[in-house]
Amino acid sequence: MVNIFRWSWGLLLAFFCLFLVRVFLPLPFANEILIFAIYTIGCNFLLGRVGFISFGQPAYLAVGAYGTAFYLFYFGSNPFVGILIGVLSGVAIALLVGPFFVRLRSDYFALVNLALAVIMFYLFEKILAKITHGDNGLWFLTNMTSTPIIDLGNPSDFFIFTFLLAFGVWALYKYLDDSIFGACCLATKTNEDKLKFLGYSNFNIRWLAFVIANTTTAMAGSLYAVYFGFVSPEITAPSRAADPVIVTLLGGVGTLYGPIVGAFAYTGMKDLISGYIANWELFIGLLLVFIMLAGEKGIWGTLEPILKKLIFKKKNSTN
Amino acid sequence: MPTDELLVVDDLNVAYGESKVLFDVSIHIRANEIVSCVGRNGAGKSTLLKTIGGFIKPTTGSIMFANTSLVGIKSYNIAKMGLKYIPQDKKVFSDLTVRENLELGSYATQDYNWDKVTEYFPKLKSLMERKAGYLSGGERQMLMIGRALLGDPQVLLVDEPTEGLAPSIVTQLQNVFLELSKKTALVIVEQNLSLVSAISERVYAVKEGRVVHEISDESDIKSNVCEQFL
Repeated sequence: MVNIFRWSWGLLLAFFCLFLVRVFLPLPFANEILIFAIYTIGCNFLLGRVGFISFGQPAYLAVGAYGTAFYLFYFGSNPFVGILIGVLSGVAIALLVGPFFVRLRSDYFALVNLALAVIMFYLFEKILAKITHGDNGLWFLTNMTSTPIIDLGNPSDFFIFTFLLAFGVWALYKYLDDSIFGACCLATKTNEDKLKFLGYSNFNIRWLAFVIANTTTAMAGSLYAVYFGFVSPEITAPSRAADPVIVTLLGGVGTLYGPIVGAFAYTGMKDLISGYIANWELFIGLLLVFIMLAGEKGIWGTLEPILKKLIFKKKNSTN
Repeated sequence: MPTDELLVVDDLNVAYGESKVLFDVSIHIRANEIVSCVGRNGAGKSTLLKTIGGFIKPTTGSIMFANTSLVGIKSYNIAKMGLKYIPQDKKVFSDLTVRENLELGSYATQDYNWDKVTEYFPKLKSLMERKAGYLSGGERQMLMIGRALLGDPQVLLVDEPTEGLAPSIVTQLQNVFLELSKKTALVIVEQNLSLVSAISERVYAVKEGRVVHEISDESDIKSNVCEQFL
């Protein structure tokens, strides 16, 4: 039990708790949390491990969503193939823009990504309006065919699929955190020159991290597309550019489970507070200010050491 | 010039923008030799090491390492070639443990033999799980040198290794450098003249970006002789 928050037991426990969300809370809420958590973990990795803050995550989300949407609207009907195409679109865009973006310092990196989100918004809304249908978006819910074993058109099956996918994503990021590559990412964040002394290329490390993070974001976009059966340029609206950064800060930067906790808190507050007042963002903003002033660790970043301490105490007392 | 040279720097000129820092610097290092560079702060000693390590591009001149030109080669590739730079500021990867710091060195060189590291620095064995940010200055220096040893480099460029360290650690490092020179050439930039005179086989005196003197006779390397160049 000692390493429950460090090793794979922690991963199983986290996902067991996440599964309980499905049991006790409405299915749409659970699905939204899962997708949002996947959306955020790339941003969390970039910010916490590589030191890159990105206000352009909606761009990569939109690339994944539109990759899936184009396939399901124009070419085929299998949602699994649609998701695969969305993920591959994410790989392609990250490979394409990564070499230019990762050369920049973190502040310029944040802005250039925001610029990309703005470009994508106008690209999907205006320039490609003939194929994206502009503001009206692409509707393809009825185009999707039922698939055997797991039917993604069914919200319950969609939850199971997304849950398993999220588990795989978290296992990957857990592996990355513990790997030499994860250490390299942390090292490039803290001191890039020192990494060169050892024979590492900072550029290659950052590019690979960028591709991994934004492919995950594109995967979330694909899931959004399949879940709603609809994609519009709103998905890459610059006004939503800060969402993944807010969720990252809310959950705890650089923590493995921060994105899940952050997505839960953010979606929960949004659903709860928006029922009473329209400007629910005000409460998120206030909470964020409080979290930053209270130590910048986020919800999970604050809870994790307390839980660890409790478990260690329990273990020592039983010994 | 002797033919057993491992590293040959010839007529090296370096500038930071408009400001010229090194002027026609020429030095050479043989295998398993300890060569020191002495001089005042701002003389250009660290710039010389950084230029050899590929961190600064020279304006003119050549740097030959084992008959391969290093000019234009990226610093991380120079490190892979077996020429490691150990910087002055003792900044390790503070968020990583000692073990993870060594793993980074091992993965880059594919050399996982840590016995040689702990042989030189036994203290590191007990510090493996400690975050490097919590190490003392001497322990950090041990970690940096130990990490640089992975991959069996042919040349170590060591920038002010004893700066701010306790005398007992300096003595330990002195012994380590002497032991290391059986396998590796060392170029050491140092202001601690007792260390320089104790370990160096040759000394270059650097002043205002120029090599103004070379002491090639080991018996002439004495603190009071070197002191005139500080």
